[in-house]
Amino acid sequence: MRQALEGSQAIARAVSLCKPQVVSAYPITPQTHIVENLSRLVADGELECELVSVESEFSAASVALGAVAAGSRAYTASSSQGILLMAEVLFNIAGLRMPLVLTCANRAVSAPLSIWNDQQDSMAVRDAGWIQLYCADNQEAVDTTIQAFRIAEQCELPVMVCVDGFTLTHTLEVLEMPEPEQVDAFLPPFRFARRLDPDKPLSVGTLVSPEYFTETRHDHHQALRDATDIIVQAQQEWLTISGRDSGGLLRQSGPADARTAILTLGSIAGTLEEAMEAHGTGAPARLIVLRAFRPFPDQALRDACQGLERLIVLERALSPGAGGIVGSEVRAALSALDRPPRVFNFAVGLGGRDVPLEIYPRLLDAVDAGRGSDFDILDLDPSKLPAEDA
Amino acid sequence: MSQDKDIPLAELRRAQPRFSGFEAGHRACLGCGEALAARLVTESAGPDVVYANATGCLEVFTTAWPESAWRVPWMHSLFANAAAIGAGMEAALKAQGRSTRVIAMGGDGGTFDIGFQALSGMLERGHNVLYVCYDNEAYMNTGIQRSSSTPHAAVTTTSPAGRERMGKRHLKKDIVSIVAAHHIPYAATASVAYPADLRKKVRRALAIDGPTFLHVHTPCPLGWGHDSALTIEIARLAVQTGLFPVIELERGGVAGVMPIREQRPVSDYLRLQNRFRHLFADDVRAREELEHLQALADHNIERYGLRPGHEADPLDTEGADTVKRGGVR
Amino acid sequence: MSVKITRGSFARPGTSLQFDTGSWRIQRPQHRHATAPCHAACPAGEDAQAWLALVEQERFRDAWETLIAANPLPAITGRVCHHPCEAACNRGNYDEPIAIHHVERLIGDMALEEDWPLPPSQTNGDPREVAVVGAGPAGCSAAWHLARSGYRVQLFEALPEAGGLLRSAIPPYRLPAAVVERELHRLLARPGIRFLPGQRLGRDFDLDELQASFAAVFLSIGTQRGRDWSIDGATPSDLHVGLPLLKEWMDVGAIPTWNSVAIVGAGNTAIDLARVLKLSGVPEVHIISHKAIPGPGVAPDDAMPAIRREIEQALEEGVVIHEHRGVQRLILRGEQVIGVELVHMKKLPDAEGRLQRVAFEGTESILHVEQVIPAIGQVVEPEGVQSLLGQRSFFRVDDRGCFPDHPRLFTGGDARGDRGTVSEAIGDGRRAALAIDRLLRQQAGDPPSPAQQPIPAEQLNLNYFETAPRPRVPVLDVARRASFAEIEGPLDTRQALGEGERCLSCGNCMACDNCWTLCPDVAVLKTREVASDGSHYLFDYGYCKGCGLCARECPTGYIVMQPDL
Repeated sequence: MRQALEGSQAIARAVSLCKPQVVSAYPITPQTHIVENLSRLVADGELECELVSVESEFSAASVALGAVAAGSRAYTASSSQGILLMAEVLFNIAGLRMPLVLTCANRAVSAPLSIWNDQQDSMAVRDAGWIQLYCADNQEAVDTTIQAFRIAEQCELPVMVCVDGFTLTHTLEVLEMPEPEQVDAFLPPFRFARRLDPDKPLSVGTLVSPEYFTETRHDHHQALRDATDIIVQAQQEWLTISGRDSGGLLRQSGPADARTAILTLGSIAGTLEEAMEAHGTGAPARLIVLRAFRPFPDQALRDACQGLERLIVLERALSPGAGGIVGSEVRAALSALDRPPRVFNFAVGLGGRDVPLEIYPRLLDAVDAGRGSDFDILDLDPSKLPAEDA
Repeated sequence: MSQDKDIPLAELRRAQPRFSGFEAGHRACLGCGEALAARLVTESAGPDVVYANATGCLEVFTTAWPESAWRVPWMHSLFANAAAIGAGMEAALKAQGRSTRVIAMGGDGGTFDIGFQALSGMLERGHNVLYVCYDNEAYMNTGIQRSSSTPHAAVTTTSPAGRERMGKRHLKKDIVSIVAAHHIPYAATASVAYPADLRKKVRRALAIDGPTFLHVHTPCPLGWGHDSALTIEIARLAVQTGLFPVIELERGGVAGVMPIREQRPVSDYLRLQNRFRHLFADDVRAREELEHLQALADHNIERYGLRPGHEADPLDTEGADTVKRGGVR
Repeated sequence: MSVKITRGSFARPGTSLQFDTGSWRIQRPQHRHATAPCHAACPAGEDAQAWLALVEQERFRDAWETLIAANPLPAITGRVCHHPCEAACNRGNYDEPIAIHHVERLIGDMALEEDWPLPPSQTNGDPREVAVVGAGPAGCSAAWHLARSGYRVQLFEALPEAGGLLRSAIPPYRLPAAVVERELHRLLARPGIRFLPGQRLGRDFDLDELQASFAAVFLSIGTQRGRDWSIDGATPSDLHVGLPLLKEWMDVGAIPTWNSVAIVGAGNTAIDLARVLKLSGVPEVHIISHKAIPGPGVAPDDAMPAIRREIEQALEEGVVIHEHRGVQRLILRGEQVIGVELVHMKKLPDAEGRLQRVAFEGTESILHVEQVIPAIGQVVEPEGVQSLLGQRSFFRVDDRGCFPDHPRLFTGGDARGDRGTVSEAIGDGRRAALAIDRLLRQQAGDPPSPAQQPIPAEQLNLNYFETAPRPRVPVLDVARRASFAEIEGPLDTRQALGEGERCLSCGNCMACDNCWTLCPDVAVLKTREVASDGSHYLFDYGYCKGCGLCARECPTGYIVMQPDL
């Protein structure tokens, strides 16, 4: 059904269609609308679940973990500081191989305090062992949320659905909400073999000695690698049911023969697509939208980058002292190509700075001007820097 | 005299006339009070319970993969989140319409300190969870560091006694009062020295719909510096001196106490433990601290009305551990 | 081969059993039965702890059968024994000793009321015959134990009836005749015992005949001759002697009613006679005792040997006891006594360190009485046993009661001279029977001694017991004692059960579950079928780390730690 919905509301409804039995969350901007909407659905009797409004994100993640361990489908959402407060639990959830879904309404991380969007938060926990899927728009957020439960439960891994805060969560868009029957056909009820069950009691969360720890890490790594197929497969099936493509591991648009490509993730993709549409088929660059950041789809990326001369990686976070996070990983992945493209790397839109349509030409100009060959912040205004940094 | 090799011990073990949720072969130290308490709690709670266990000795010594001492569904997540994990389990079981009960448990560090917020949240939200704190009064798993539960003047590796210090400078946190202040239906203290009382309290707590709390005093031979055979003796003295009052609180109000029939001087308790050895030095500060601890014990007795009535109570400190031929308790 | 890792590193339930924590152990707990103090102290060899445990379980008949395995006369000893078991009872260190003799009496009476038969022999009948001479407590005990062991016993008795002093000298207010009658009747009716009354040694048969006809002989002939008594060679013309006087009263039910009497002696005969006189209406009855009235601060060897309860009751009834006094002079008018001169006396060591009585000059006093009655004990009647006795007053034998140079000849009871109580006599009978049995079965060496070191109270854990008062039995008012009805009433069964419960079960597992409950390592297993050492528990040494908690907390001291390196 086509509806005009705020992103958070749409995500909440998508979650609701997946019938989680336990939802646990703690308020933080810009995640709040998602949880508020879920609370409303529960209050109105549209969603039957245990809604646990906890005293911290640390407990939000823990409650969700406890719920999954006890055999229930569980969901939580957070942002920024909340994600970091959860960090210890996030690693734990993944190491325990517990399938649950978390929406990260991406936001900058303090200090200085910023409540606005960038992706520093989810990037900070990229090594937690979760699947991370980034959404370009709210339709993708809806579809990815539904797929996330399926992927999580099939892989027995947690999935973080990353949605840019405000840019998506607080934006009204016309989108297609799936019918409950569609979701039911796609997502079977949650049956967790390792459920804590008095009839077949397991001990979960043990101490593993150096003799075995390496193998557990390998196993976890391999499970994430193996998840690439499941992500693709889930996308394909959902496409069959819904008729919508939400991007698989990555998707491409624009002229296939362009020798320059721009790779990005999240809502910037939508901005760039709109800008590229203005150029029609004569666009100077094509677009690669990375949806799966973990597992990192290195093979799909290499396939997409075959024959490219230049690849511009545009991201909304950085690793201070090193540079781009996504850019570094892309460079590493492409180094396996015989003739890898030259990789340019920019951060943009930090702490909620607007990323306008003009980003597209400016980006190409900047590359032509030799910027970004290592790493640059594209929209930096040097005039604001103190003398010693200018 | 050695036992007959042909006795089918494994078979006998399986046929024990009590519920076994906690198995032999765990790696606790000799005379571990916490191991005993955990065994008693699981036995009393029965099979239809799911456990959330905070990081700590209990978790480490029971689950050295691939082995587990638990025969109940059990999960350890982190140090600080046992109460939240328990809350999540409870929410899930409720959503599934199951009657299985949840017990969350942790040591004093995981309860008084790092897991305190999650505990408070769980209690406030009214989850149907029994939280059991095994209190051995320091961070034993990391090597005996002081916690907010460490008694005043006790020596730990981070509260040593020296020229300037007489052990821990601060008081033991009154966790049960804080917990009870959440207006929960039931909060109680118990001791491994009084297993019948402990068992009764586990069952009582599990019969209540809503959050409940059980604070169990569990001596640690290694951390407290006492012979492994003295675990019960020391736990008993903690109660009989008044240093560890055994009480029950309902909705924050005192609902029951274990009266002290014959109050023992705190020195009887303290002198058995190396962590208090410095208090017996010929030192004016030592004498003052001894008096201080005696005053704290006396204060507990006043506060909770632990003095005996006119008639001996079969459930007081002398009567509550009475045994009978044939093991009826 | 390595174990395969599991998803999320879960572990399977109870798999810690793969880990042998028993290898950590440097000491191991073991069950060790120890002798309870009551058992060690019982002259008759009763294990009161064992039968009290059965009483607690309301298994009165089993308790009785356990009891009579040592003592076939519990209704009697429950009344007359001086119960050193109670003085030894560890419960005395906690609140009050178990009222063992009251319970003993109750189950003895219960057996009589319910007519429980004596259990059959432990072995098949042995064709050999043993002679027992004298059917007092020692003889009856010996006959019973020999019969239990399968021997045929001929029990000779000079008098028409069995019982010895039980029947002839213990007043009915202590021991009603009916009790003696019924308990002895049951014993004498037992198959294997042939009772031959009216057969006096030295008159109707002699020792040589016995030794020729029987595989072994037990002489339990008591002390039938009074000691000579005089003060500086003076004796009153109308001298009455304690035991014969008491026997006469028992026999005919009458006693001369003097106005005032002084009885010289400190034993049970002195007390019994004093009480009989007092209750018969003699206004002034005095006891002149070399020893002290037992009580706090009185050394055991300085206390009057009579049963303390009897002394106390005598005092209640108005008997006057002059402690640490001796008779120095008889005050005579002609040959009639009109009084005695008393003097303070005490036992002090002489130059060789032997205790001798010393009279203290200047402490003399006069007591005017109409009669002075010595009750200073009896000696063995030499008739028929002169060759064994020689110049001595009593038989000299070894611990088992065996005569030197007469390996098949034994004695016990009062005839030994170092005895003085019914229970000791019963114990002698049992020990001699055991020795005879070993002799006839040709088992070498001494019989295993039951006299092991009793377990002291410090080895128990008294925390696990609750204080409870010792029960009191009804006692006849002094005013109503002239009827000579039994003074002490019985315990009721509820009180007896309570005593079973109060028993600390010293050194013996009481299956309280404490070790099973308190083991942090789940290394104590409970069983009823497998444990063969009398307990209900096994140590699983595969897991026991040897912490010692179970031993420390065992209420009964039944667990000990042993090095195990």
